[in-house]
Amino acid sequence: MKIKYTITGLDCPNCAAKLADKMSALDGVDSAKINFLTEKLTVETSLEENAAYALLQDAASAFSRDVKIEK
Amino acid sequence: MKKLLKSDSARITISLFLFILAVILEQTAALQFSLIVYLLALCIAGYKVFIDAVRGILRRDLLDEKFLMSIASIGAMIVGEWSEGVAVMIFYLVGESFEHRAVRRSRASIRALMDIAPDEACILIDGDEQIVDAEDVEVGSTVVIRPGERVPVDSVVISGTADVDTSSMTGEPLPVSASEGTYLSSGYIVKNGLIYAKAQRPSSESAAARILELVENATENKSREEAFITKFSRYYTPVVVIIALLVAIIPPLFSLATFENALYTALTFLVISCPCALVISVPMAFFGGIGGAASRGILFKGGNLFSKVARLESIAFDKTGTLTGGRFSVSEVRTFDISEDELLSLVASAESASNHPIAESLSGLSARKLMPKTVREMAGLGVIAELDSHTVAVGNAALMNKLGVDITVTESMPAGSLLVAKDNLLVGMLMISDSIKTEAMSAIESLRSLGVRKTVILSGDKRENVIRTSEALGIDECFFELTPEEKYSRLESLIKSSKSTMYVGDGINDSPALARADVGVAMGTLGQDAAIEAADVVIMSDNLTKLPEAVLIARKTINISWQNIIFALGVKGLILILGLFGYANMWFAVFADVGVAVLAILNSMRALKAPKNKKISAA
Repeated sequence: MKIKYTITGLDCPNCAAKLADKMSALDGVDSAKINFLTEKLTVETSLEENAAYALLQDAASAFSRDVKIEK
Repeated sequence: MKKLLKSDSARITISLFLFILAVILEQTAALQFSLIVYLLALCIAGYKVFIDAVRGILRRDLLDEKFLMSIASIGAMIVGEWSEGVAVMIFYLVGESFEHRAVRRSRASIRALMDIAPDEACILIDGDEQIVDAEDVEVGSTVVIRPGERVPVDSVVISGTADVDTSSMTGEPLPVSASEGTYLSSGYIVKNGLIYAKAQRPSSESAAARILELVENATENKSREEAFITKFSRYYTPVVVIIALLVAIIPPLFSLATFENALYTALTFLVISCPCALVISVPMAFFGGIGGAASRGILFKGGNLFSKVARLESIAFDKTGTLTGGRFSVSEVRTFDISEDELLSLVASAESASNHPIAESLSGLSARKLMPKTVREMAGLGVIAELDSHTVAVGNAALMNKLGVDITVTESMPAGSLLVAKDNLLVGMLMISDSIKTEAMSAIESLRSLGVRKTVILSGDKRENVIRTSEALGIDECFFELTPEEKYSRLESLIKSSKSTMYVGDGINDSPALARADVGVAMGTLGQDAAIEAADVVIMSDNLTKLPEAVLIARKTINISWQNIIFALGVKGLILILGLFGYANMWFAVFADVGVAVLAILNSMRALKAPKNKKISAA
C-alpha cells in the first residue's frame, strides 16, 4: 500500500534524505521517499495504516524532535 | 520564556545581544564574566543543535551536520577561541533561519497560485441547499453553482445553462457554453446562469488539485545539476572530516604545528563540512524556477527540463488551436432562400446587442444593421432577436431544436457552425474559423532572438490554411494535411537534426508528438489528461508569448544553479586550501558555511521572479 503524508520540521534536504533512508530500513516499510521542498513523505508499506503511521512518527521523532508527520 | 526560546528570531536576537555583551566584557578584561555570558549565548543559540547532535550520536551518525557543528563550536571554546565558538553557532542559526524562510516563501507562492478551487461548496441534501467543505462533497451529490461562483469539484451539468469562464484553468479567453451533460472542471467560473451539476470526482482528484500535484511532483524529476550535487554531497562530508582528522593529527606528530593550532584548523574544517549550502541552493533554484514559472501559468513537469528548454534550437508547432485561435472570423457562408447580404445583416443586427466574444466579431459583418426591438440571450445556446416584426434566432443546433426549427439540411455539414433562423425557418449558416493569434508574430520573433534557429508547422489542416499561416508568421518550413503518424515522423527527423527540439500543441490528437519531442509543450489543455500526461511543459493559458518566457525562465534558473555551485564550491575550496597553509580562521569558515548558504539561497530566490527581457514585448 502506498501512503502519502505531510512531513514538517526538517532542516535541509540532506537531513530529509537521511531520515528517508532510516524509514526505508524499518521493518514493514518497503520504501520511503521524502520530498523536502514539497514536504511530502511517500511510503510503500505492507503495514496497516495506523501501525505504519505510529512507526514512522517514532522514527521521525527519534531523528529530530521538530519533525512531525501528518496524514 | 519557553515559547520565546522556540522562535528562531528571538533566540538569534537574544544570543546576539549576549554575544556582543560578552565581546565587550572580554575587551574590558572581565574574563570570567565574559565566559559565562558567552556560554549563556551559546546555550540559547545552540541548545536545539546540541540536542539533535546527541540524537545523531545515539543513532551512530558521526557525520551528522549538527554533531559536527557542535564539535566545532565547543572545540573552539576549549581551545580558547570563545567568541568564534559562539559566533559559529549564532551564525549557523541565522543561516538556518534564512534557509527556512526562503523555503517557506517558495512553498507559499506555489500554494497561493494553486488556490483556484473554492474551499466550500453548496450541495443539495434532500432538496435543501447546504454549504459544506469542498473536501466533503461526495461523488454523485448535486452541486449548486450560482453566477459568479467557482466550480468546487469536477462535475457534470444536470440542469441549467450558462456561459462558463474556463480561463483560470485552460487560459481560453472565450467562455464555453455549458448545458446538460457539459463537463465542468474545478476552478471554472459560472458566469450567467444557475447550474446544478453532479459531482464526478472528489475535490482531491479534481482538476485544480491535479495541477498542484503536477507542480509538486515536478520537484522529483531532478535536473542534471541536482543529481550532480546529490552525488557530490555524499562524498563531500566524509572527505572533509577525514582531512580535518589528518590535519589535527599529522602536523603535531611531526612538530609542524602545535596541537592547539592543528586542532583549531581541523575545527574550521568541520564547520565547512556540511554540504548544505549546495544541497539546498541548487534544488532551491529549480524549485524557485518551477514555482516562478507556475505563477506565470507555465508548468514545468521536472527540473530536468530546464536545460533542454534553455538550449532550445528548433520548434515545431501544431497550427489549429496553437498558432491560431482565440479570435473568430467567418470563413464560409451558406444561405437558404435569402441573399448573403440579407443574411449577414440579420446576423449582425441580432448580435449587435450582445457582448459575447463571438457576437462581437459577428456584429461587424454588415454595415446594414437594424435596431432589434428585443434581444433574448440564451446562455449556452445563442440569441433570439425581434427585428422588424420578424423573429431571428442565431445560435447552435440545440437552440434550433428548442425552437422547433427544421435543421435536417445541416446534418452533413461541419459541426459547430452557427445557424440562423428567421421566423422559425432556417435561412443560413456561418462557418466560423479561428484566425492567427495576435501575439503569434511577436512570440516567434522573440524565440528567434533567443536563439531558436528553425521553426516548423506540422498541421493536419488544409494546404492553403497552413501556407497562409506559415507565410504570415514567417515560419521556416510547413507541412500540411498530415496524419498523426506523419506528424510524428516529421518531428522525429527534426529532432535528429537539432540539439533540443520543442513541440507545441494543444493536445488534441498529438499526444505521441508531445511525448516524443525533447520538450513537449501542451497549451491551454488542462482538461485533457492525455495531453498533460504526455507533455513535459504545460502552459495553462494559450498565449504564445509564454514560450519565449519559458525559455528565459529556464535559462535564468540554470544560470542561478551554476552560479550557486561554483560560488559555494569555490569558497569552500578556498577555505580548505587556506586552512592547509595555516591561514584558516573560523570567521572565514562560518562565512563559507552559512554565509554562502544564505547568499546562494537569496540567489535562488531570484528564480521565482520573472526574468527581465526587453525582447518580449507585451502582446
